[in-house]
Amino acid sequence: MITIITEVSKYLIIFFMVLYTVKCFTVLKPVKEEKKKKALNVQIFYVFMIHFLCYLTMFLHYKTLDILLFYLLQMIIFIVYMVSYHGIYKKSSRLITNNMAFLLLIGFVMLTRLDFTLAKKQFLFATIMLLITAFIPLIIVKCPGIKNWYVFYAILGLGFLALVFVPGLGKEIYGSRNWIEIAGFSLQPMEFVKIIFVFFLASAFDKAKGIWNYFVITCVAGVFMLILVAEKDLGGAVIFFMIFLMMIYIASQKLFVLIGGLGGGVALAVAGFMLFKDKFGHVLVRINAWRDPFAYIDTNGYQVSQALFAIGSGRWEGSGLCQGIPTTVPVVTSDFIFAAICEELGVIFGLCLLLMYISCFIYFINISMKIRDPFYKNVAFGFTICFIFQIFLNVGGVIKFIPSTGVTLPLVSYGVSSIVSTMVIFGIIQGICVLENSGVGKYEKNKSGKRRKQKELREEFSGE
Amino acid sequence: MLVITYLVVILFLAMICHLIIFVVRDADVAIANSYNKRQNLYAEKVMKGQILSRDGEVLAETLVDEEGNESRYYPYANMFAHAVGYDSQGQSGLEMLSTYYLLKSNQNIITRIYNTLSGKKNIGNNVIATLDYRMQSTAYYALGSNYGAVVVIEPDTGKILTMVSKPDFDPNDIDSILAETQETESSYLLNRATQGLYPPGSTFKVLTALEYIREHPDYRQYTYQCKSEDMFTGVPIHCYNYNVHGEVDLKDSLAYSCNTSFANIGQKLDMGSFRSLCETFLFNADLPYDGYYSKSSFVLDASSDPTLIPQTVIGQGQTLITPLHNALIMCAIANGGVLMKPYMIDRIENCDGNVVKMFLPDTYGRILSADEASLMTELMTGVTEYGTASAWFDGASYTIAGKTGTAEFNENKDSHSWFVGFSNIDHPDIVVCVIVENASSTGASATAIARELFDCYYQNQ
Repeated sequence: MITIITEVSKYLIIFFMVLYTVKCFTVLKPVKEEKKKKALNVQIFYVFMIHFLCYLTMFLHYKTLDILLFYLLQMIIFIVYMVSYHGIYKKSSRLITNNMAFLLLIGFVMLTRLDFTLAKKQFLFATIMLLITAFIPLIIVKCPGIKNWYVFYAILGLGFLALVFVPGLGKEIYGSRNWIEIAGFSLQPMEFVKIIFVFFLASAFDKAKGIWNYFVITCVAGVFMLILVAEKDLGGAVIFFMIFLMMIYIASQKLFVLIGGLGGGVALAVAGFMLFKDKFGHVLVRINAWRDPFAYIDTNGYQVSQALFAIGSGRWEGSGLCQGIPTTVPVVTSDFIFAAICEELGVIFGLCLLLMYISCFIYFINISMKIRDPFYKNVAFGFTICFIFQIFLNVGGVIKFIPSTGVTLPLVSYGVSSIVSTMVIFGIIQGICVLENSGVGKYEKNKSGKRRKQKELREEFSGE
Repeated sequence: MLVITYLVVILFLAMICHLIIFVVRDADVAIANSYNKRQNLYAEKVMKGQILSRDGEVLAETLVDEEGNESRYYPYANMFAHAVGYDSQGQSGLEMLSTYYLLKSNQNIITRIYNTLSGKKNIGNNVIATLDYRMQSTAYYALGSNYGAVVVIEPDTGKILTMVSKPDFDPNDIDSILAETQETESSYLLNRATQGLYPPGSTFKVLTALEYIREHPDYRQYTYQCKSEDMFTGVPIHCYNYNVHGEVDLKDSLAYSCNTSFANIGQKLDMGSFRSLCETFLFNADLPYDGYYSKSSFVLDASSDPTLIPQTVIGQGQTLITPLHNALIMCAIANGGVLMKPYMIDRIENCDGNVVKMFLPDTYGRILSADEASLMTELMTGVTEYGTASAWFDGASYTIAGKTGTAEFNENKDSHSWFVGFSNIDHPDIVVCVIVENASSTGASATAIARELFDCYYQNQ
């Protein structure tokens, strides 16, 4: 009986995942408020169905009460959160909360399967962050001054980033010195600094006048990236570079900036690599492991090879939760969680997850395009790039599309720094939505007000 | 922003395509790796399939007793011991290479769903090997009680038709064999065809001759007066049985396997360049072979002691080679200079006999030019037409190019017997490589065994 339920659940999970992904795209279409509301309700229903089936499967397999309690707790927290959040912020986007809930819940499912202790830890932090990020829209609406603090952002960001060089605080993991340890928690300052970095660029570009200002901004951004390179955190440096490049392109609206920047970036990276070949041994190792992981399976290709075994044995429909052995992949709970998803939930599920990320990206870009205030436009855009690029680096690395860079899968991977920073990013985008949705109203009121005035004036003139 | 949106979406679509291609095309082969630890997981759901020879003989199958316990059974026992291998407390041979194919079931989908839901095992796919039963049994009986190995490969495809290693064992008793041999290092389990390292003896002269041709474009003018023994850089070298070969050119030197002539040739070679030639011929390198094998070694280079050269160029000294490797060198020559990757799995079929996957020949690369290959072939025909192997190939219905070898392995001049060569020189059919250990005492001849194999091949045609 249990095998039948488990087997059927496996296919039902895929079925609901496909429906959910389709909804992700169809809700993007502009429709009437009523219809949209209904669609969003259906969407969150799919999420909860997937979540329920996953926990059902795991409960039938492990047969412990803990899992049942953990599931109920998640349901309560998320339902309370969604109802109260949208109750307080009437203008907030429900699609963002739906997607965030989906990603977090899938993360909890996978972590429960892989390492229950980590799952509980992740859940604790996520819950705390749900509370904290609930205040972000309020701060954004109440403090318009944050637009002008670019000097502060630059100093704060650089200072925070340099913390890893403080002896006793910084530590080196997997060949990169990009971690700090405070009170038993390992944090990656880069995860938080990227938020500050986006704020710095958005604010500075907003205030920039003329080529000279752009030059100074470029230099400061360069210092950020140089510090990351000095930490040997090349994944981080690449993310920062992409954020900078995309944001300067949007600020300047010149295509040659984008093309030249990409070309220049590649040239710089190659030149830098040639000059300091001995210092970046771990990079060459990763590139070799990427080109042919099976040839280096004893050493550096081991992780990617194991990830490919996991994905290859999962195939389209997956082995079913608790039916595979994804724990053979090193660091499967954080950087390589996508391999575990593909093995147990199936490659179709993995593909849907990617498509869902794309829909998220398109939605964020839409928000950013609609915003009139250039500062918030820049911020929203910067975060969007940061978010999507991180997914690209993570998944690309796991499936051997690009060399692996050691970044996490936003909201799904285990990682305190990652979950905190991504939830802050989601909170800020949500805040910008709230601001814009209420701001648009005001703006239009002004506009129609103006028109009325003009009409009155005209009437006065004609009247004369 | 639209530009960037499109760029990102394209990037992601490319990544999605990559993942789909991986699952559709590469996943099956990628997961069939001994580092993948999922076999026990699969074995819970699938009953391992059969391994069959290319002519349809069952080489390995799973038997289920009344209580439902599974065991692997090998109908031909010792005959395919090393080639097919075993699957118990570790794996070897084809059992190792094909585990994941055997543990996958491409049975009818409805049967599979029914089995899954009712908790029954699905029947795994069958692996059809490139091994040829008749060739294998001929080699097995021809080698008899001698220690040694036989490898037969199709040079134009890389298909391994025969792989015999002696002494052998019965894989049906593998558990007790493994229990016995835990303390004493057993030579029974060693696959001499791929793991046995032997001095190449005179078969190595093929490479010496090729290096001479490359360094001396006037090789046609080469002559040497063989007086059966001579001194080279203070090292005495004599020909086999102290034969006097008289005036020989390059072809004669190879045909008669004239040691003094080759030691003389060795004096004219640049050892640095010879080492790099040997390395392109896969000495000190990985072989393009998936199973267990040993790396062959060639140790001399430009700075080596010159007194080592005379022994090395005639295949003695510190050079070591595996029979598989020696066969591959001959394969490249037979195939016009291009080496095909050797392989043992021809195709995978589901339990109803429908083909699931075909393994196609794959090129390793060109390791000598086409001109050099036909030149070497022509030189080696001397060996079988009037040279050391001519007595064995009397009245053959096919043409042969090859090289014999007598490889001394101790101070008492005891020697192994080698033959490596191919048949039908215009369109080479098979490469045969035979080594018989300690043949000087047993009186066995590798060339005689090779003749039996060639005859068997052409009788079957």
